[in-house]
Amino acid sequence: MKDFIVPGEVLYAEPRRFDGSFVEDNQTFSSVLSVKYDDKVVPLKGKYTPVVSDYVIGVIKEERFSGYEIDINSPYEGTLSSRDLRESFEVGQVVSAVIRAVDEVNEALLVEPRKLWGGHIVEVESVKIPRVIGRNNSMVMMLEQYTGSRIFVGKNGRIYVKGGNAALALLAILKIAKEAHVHGLTDRVKAFLEEEYRKAGKTPSASSSLLSEPAEAREERDESMP
Amino acid sequence: MEKEKKLIVDGKRADGRGMEDLRPLSIKAGVLKRADGSALIEWGRNKVLAAAYGPREVFPKHLSNVHKAIINCRYAMAPFSSIEEHGRSGPNRRAIEIGKVAKHVFENIVLTKQFPKTQIDISMEVLQSDGGTRVAGITAASVALADAGIPMKDLVQGVSLGRVEGQLVADLDKYEDNQGEADVPLIVSLRSREILLFQQDGMLTKEELARMFEMGFKGAEAVRAVQVQALKDRYYGPHELNEDG
Repeated sequence: MKDFIVPGEVLYAEPRRFDGSFVEDNQTFSSVLSVKYDDKVVPLKGKYTPVVSDYVIGVIKEERFSGYEIDINSPYEGTLSSRDLRESFEVGQVVSAVIRAVDEVNEALLVEPRKLWGGHIVEVESVKIPRVIGRNNSMVMMLEQYTGSRIFVGKNGRIYVKGGNAALALLAILKIAKEAHVHGLTDRVKAFLEEEYRKAGKTPSASSSLLSEPAEAREERDESMP
Repeated sequence: MEKEKKLIVDGKRADGRGMEDLRPLSIKAGVLKRADGSALIEWGRNKVLAAAYGPREVFPKHLSNVHKAIINCRYAMAPFSSIEEHGRSGPNRRAIEIGKVAKHVFENIVLTKQFPKTQIDISMEVLQSDGGTRVAGITAASVALADAGIPMKDLVQGVSLGRVEGQLVADLDKYEDNQGEADVPLIVSLRSREILLFQQDGMLTKEELARMFEMGFKGAEAVRAVQVQALKDRYYGPHELNEDG
């Protein structure tokens, strides 16, 4: 069973600490809108705060002597240190990177930047990212299979889609983000994808599937996808 | 001296309400696309639009606090909002004060320590006013903050209270507010039973105040139910699966 939770509701009669909650008088209260499943509380909304070893998609915001400032779709900035860099970036370049360290005021140090060329970026609520990825990447894999697009999901709520039927992939991602809290998500997304292909008069298996991709495209993918 | 029109006749107020009855109240969450969170409250003839932004980078940077998020609060009445002329739009002296007290409410309720070096902006725009707009505004802003996913200790809400012709009443309209002997806007947190905003205009006895707090907490419970429903409708409402969301 799941319950809709608003800030200030009692979640557990004993103290527990997790995102979207706070402890007072040995009780756990919710601090954000969330959905409570049997023994799990999932926030419905919230800004991304950097976490070490997350993959994120950022945009170069400013160049400095010491490195780059990067917008990571968060109240906090990411920085790339020029010590770790062998290449240079233009302001506005979209990159994927890994968070190496987060300091006491949540500023993130990024490493392993890779430039992302072409394709599309879509932004969703960062709390919905686990649903876009799915259990063991199942959702992303399904999207890639149906659309033939290459999809890279940043934990900060930005998703990079390139090639294949990118328009359909973007629609599906937005649908996932909007309906993440409603039961039977995977089936609904699958039905949506099949319906769209039926409308276009194609069968999904014939037109997409990663295996039918030309080999060079796949190689490029391995390069640009961390 | 006998007043020409009485505000309370046979235990009923001018608009037919009982002493503790609230005016019709409805809230819709998520009405603005570009805000992180928003709410439109219609409370009697009051109409207030609230928007919440953040946490986001502080500008100008020197105002930032490395220990917590700072909160900015704006309350303003639209020039067309009231029966009287309000002149040009934007906050005036009275509005700046209301913005300030609202800011103190949210500084006590938002978990600002989770977001050092950021700011949270709250805006309350009164589109139509009929008494009790600060309470309506803060009630709406609380929904807007929840809609924005900003962590808070509770959803706050309140009612205005007052004494009209010797009787204690809840949720005063403009005439009761102007003609009554005293009025008290009250914002509370039901979880902790804390009073977060209490202002008073006029004289009241200790006993009257104690009774008012009782009425205030009782009214807040009804208001909270509407707030929760508004937030729930945002995700589980009849239009939750519509194309345009």
